[in-house]
Amino acid sequence: MTQYHETILVVEDDVQIRNFIVFALKSEGFSCITAGNAQTALKKLVSEQIDMVLLDLGLPDVDGMEVIRKVREWSELPILVVSARDQDKEKAAALDAGADDYLTKPFSATELLARIRVALRHLYRSALPKTQAVCQVGELVLDMEKHAAFMEEQPLHLTPMEFSLMSLFMKNPGKVLTTSYIIREIWGNGYGTDTQALRTLMAGLRRKVEKTPANPQYLFTEVGVGYRLRDV
Amino acid sequence: MTKKNRENPAFAGIVVSIVTLCGATLGGYAFRAAGFLETNIVLLYILSVVITATLSQGFLYGIMTSVAATLAYNYFFTSPYHSLDVDNPGYMVTFVIMTIVSFVTSTLTSKMRENILAARRREEEAKELYRLTSQLVECGNLPGVSSAVAECVSHFLKCDAACVCFDEDGCPPETFVQQMGEGRQVQRVLVERDKYVRSLRALGDTGGIISEFYEYPIREEKLLGAVRLPKEQAAAFQESHRSFLDSAAKCTALALSRIHSLQSRIKSLHEIEQERYRGNLLRAISHDLRTPLSGIMGTAEVIVRMSDQEDPRYEMAEGIWKDARWLYSLVENILSLTRLQSGAPILNKEPQVVEEIVGGALEQMRRREPERKIEVDVPGEILVVPMDGKLIMQTLVNLLDNAAKHTPDNGQIKITVKKDQTDKFVTFKVSDTGDGITEEDLPKIFETFYTSRCRPVDARKGIGLGLSICKTIVEAHGGEITAQNRADGGGAEFIFTLPLE
Repeated sequence: MTQYHETILVVEDDVQIRNFIVFALKSEGFSCITAGNAQTALKKLVSEQIDMVLLDLGLPDVDGMEVIRKVREWSELPILVVSARDQDKEKAAALDAGADDYLTKPFSATELLARIRVALRHLYRSALPKTQAVCQVGELVLDMEKHAAFMEEQPLHLTPMEFSLMSLFMKNPGKVLTTSYIIREIWGNGYGTDTQALRTLMAGLRRKVEKTPANPQYLFTEVGVGYRLRDV
Repeated sequence: MTKKNRENPAFAGIVVSIVTLCGATLGGYAFRAAGFLETNIVLLYILSVVITATLSQGFLYGIMTSVAATLAYNYFFTSPYHSLDVDNPGYMVTFVIMTIVSFVTSTLTSKMRENILAARRREEEAKELYRLTSQLVECGNLPGVSSAVAECVSHFLKCDAACVCFDEDGCPPETFVQQMGEGRQVQRVLVERDKYVRSLRALGDTGGIISEFYEYPIREEKLLGAVRLPKEQAAAFQESHRSFLDSAAKCTALALSRIHSLQSRIKSLHEIEQERYRGNLLRAISHDLRTPLSGIMGTAEVIVRMSDQEDPRYEMAEGIWKDARWLYSLVENILSLTRLQSGAPILNKEPQVVEEIVGGALEQMRRREPERKIEVDVPGEILVVPMDGKLIMQTLVNLLDNAAKHTPDNGQIKITVKKDQTDKFVTFKVSDTGDGITEEDLPKIFETFYTSRCRPVDARKGIGLGLSICKTIVEAHGGEITAQNRADGGGAEFIFTLPLE
């Protein structure tokens, strides 16, 4: 088991949930700094050495988005947002503003740690000088140089666009990608809300990759937010 | 004189006739002795005819008296006296004219008398109906109406009438009110109510006799009650009495309709108030339960992760975690339902790819029951349907959860999605090879808080909200949901449709 040592800033106004998060993180070896509102959070971010932020979107004083924006002005540190069940638009907006992933209340310690793990891996990988030639998630293999994809060693005949999409996922395994982010990356700017094309592309990709497109094992849909490739 | 008239009109008529004729004759002698003109005697007889016509019933006595008057005048006052002969033929003209005048005056007088009597009767009737209507306007309940009707009808028809008023569901009351003489009313028990209602329904609009009473139904489209009259007296009723009964029944029908709709409105307002209160209460409680529950859930899970499996605390913490999780989903269900049922549910309808929603539901099921294998049958084409993705996913999860609760571990659960041939809607089916649905559960299965009495032994008792939520969600989308047992036996299937818009 990996022994974590990072310091996580937990910004959550609800005491019981904050305590639970701190327990869960400390038991895995993380150090925790807490803040009950945005003001305190920003202060701590400046004064302390923090590796990751866990941010509740329902803060009393300042909109969570503001915090994200402020942080992103000077840091790329991972931000995980915590939201209530029906806050899809806020989730998507937070992700587009620079948050890395989200958790929906109530979440289990398992989910929390899974997301943190993904975010940390992403952080460390982006520090590496070059991108890998071959990526693998489960039985899915992508060869970036040869532009080839394989599932259980059988070749998948992906179109160029499908391949771009797949490599985008492969660079962010386990992390949610919002629809607007994917559209921007694949099609470029100016196609903002053309979700129809993305849906069709995703459906086509699913049919090639998954045994049962309606019961996916790799490409998951986060309704109202985006898509996620399963973690390694 | 009036009493005599009612009891024996014939006797009265004859008596009046004879008395007035005698009076006129005597007066005639007096006039002759006083030396007055003969014409005055003629006028005396005509006067007697008029008096008779006024005081007797019908035309007969007046006419009889006319003839008798002429004969009497001939007999007593024309020479030769005390005989019906006449010396002077000129008197024949007198006789003829006298008879004609008598006839005409008697007829006119009788007619006038009849008219006056009829007008008086109508005035009585109108007064009584006005009195009845005034009392009915004041009435706020059915016993009051019965009482007012019994009193007014008795007063006008001069008998001991009674009244029965049905409630808004058409059910007869247990008692009815009967007038007993002036100023006294009694409540009597209505026996054999069903039989009574049936017999009453069978009567025509004019009513008929049922055992003790003559029943006059009160109707306004449907049967609202009846006016009950003692059958002996009812036999003697004439047209005028019937017309009064008819008007009275109509007024009463109006009053009863008014009271019924008032009572219905009060009842439904009350129900709405209750419902709203209940909804608010549930919502408030559930909301306050959520946060501490999620704290308990989360912390219990952390303890589980911290402990070794051999440690007794592992199992204990796991127990706490499972219970908290179950409670949490219960609370979430209650909140969902109250939110969905509070007036217009706010749907976030967007075009969604069906297989993505199905996939999401399956993933949630995987977290709850990782051992379950669920089959999927979805069309090859990309099916896009406008829907609130989260809510439909929740519907599918509830249906799958329900199937899992009632199907053994090695049973099959399958989701099938099909586009309908008419291209108007999409059908979702969740079928299992489990216990199926019992006959008694089938019609009530989607009701709020309904839980089946047959339950797998070990399962936790649900609160009966899952299927109710499904129904609310599906219907809010304009779709339909049904439950049935599989045609090939051995399991249940739940089918719902969503319009393709």
